[in-house]
Amino acid sequence: MSTTPDKLVERYLKHLEVELDDLPHDRRREIVDEIAGHIAEARAVLEHETEADVRNILEGLGDPADIAADARERFDVRKPSPPGRAGWMDVAALVFLLVGGLIIPIFGWVIGVVLLWVSNAWNVRDKIIGTLFVPGGLLVPLGIGIIAVGNGGTSCSPVTGANGVTIGCPDASQGTPVLGIVALALLVLLPIVTTAYLAHQMRRHPAAATV
Amino acid sequence: MVAGKQDALLAQMLKGTLQYCVLALLSDDERYGFDLVRSLAETDGMVTSEGTIYPLLSRLRRDGLVETTWRESTSGPPRRYYWLTESGRAALDAFRGEWGRFRDAVDHFVERKAG
Repeated sequence: MSTTPDKLVERYLKHLEVELDDLPHDRRREIVDEIAGHIAEARAVLEHETEADVRNILEGLGDPADIAADARERFDVRKPSPPGRAGWMDVAALVFLLVGGLIIPIFGWVIGVVLLWVSNAWNVRDKIIGTLFVPGGLLVPLGIGIIAVGNGGTSCSPVTGANGVTIGCPDASQGTPVLGIVALALLVLLPIVTTAYLAHQMRRHPAAATV
Repeated sequence: MVAGKQDALLAQMLKGTLQYCVLALLSDDERYGFDLVRSLAETDGMVTSEGTIYPLLSRLRRDGLVETTWRESTSGPPRRYYWLTESGRAALDAFRGEWGRFRDAVDHFVERKAG
């Protein structure tokens, strides 16, 4: 590996940048720029720069991890917990939210909600989203679908979906209840999208504190 | 005392006091980072890793205790100069009073026992 002074400095600054990753962007920039300036100043006063000189300068600055630890403390930034493994409870929460209601009608979904709210993998906003879209998960569209098929389009009373959308009943004379099918499709898609969103958030905030 | 423990103790003591040493260095004249670090490093034991001065300076700036401006340098790229604001000066004065009392109080116990 070539270790010219420039390479050493470059590697040091890159390392520092990575270590400061969890600091707000402007603060990270400021610190890295100032330390880069410090290195340039220190190198400028050397008459005949050697690799050892540059190593001494970098050693004088200290380990990037120590600088980052100090910076976190100065700016009250909590060190993020190591990216993790989604707990099986979190995965179970998502499964129960989506299809729990089908396995154990209604109650299965309630289990999902409880698991969602006791988990620390999501913040409150995400938990609310997970609860509201859509209560019952796939139970609701499936239930409506069964009712619609059972009705066979002969007798019909308007069904109100859990999200407040009134699913119009197909006009008996009309063959294709377009509006009903669209609404049903939405009710199927929405819980799936919500689950995907929560799975995504869970990865992004592996152990975010409960807000 | 074990060397590691002594280092940790020094680090703890510096944590609360280093920023006032920086403010004091800035009280007469504006300075740039490298210059500040060099002055601090002249006194033995003041800085263990020089790089930690920069998060400190950044914090002082955000707290409004110092202000900065870029100035051209004759020998290289422009430098960011730091100087004390009014509230920086007030913080330094307040610390001077506290520190005097604190130092006397610690001396009162520590020196008597040593002697």
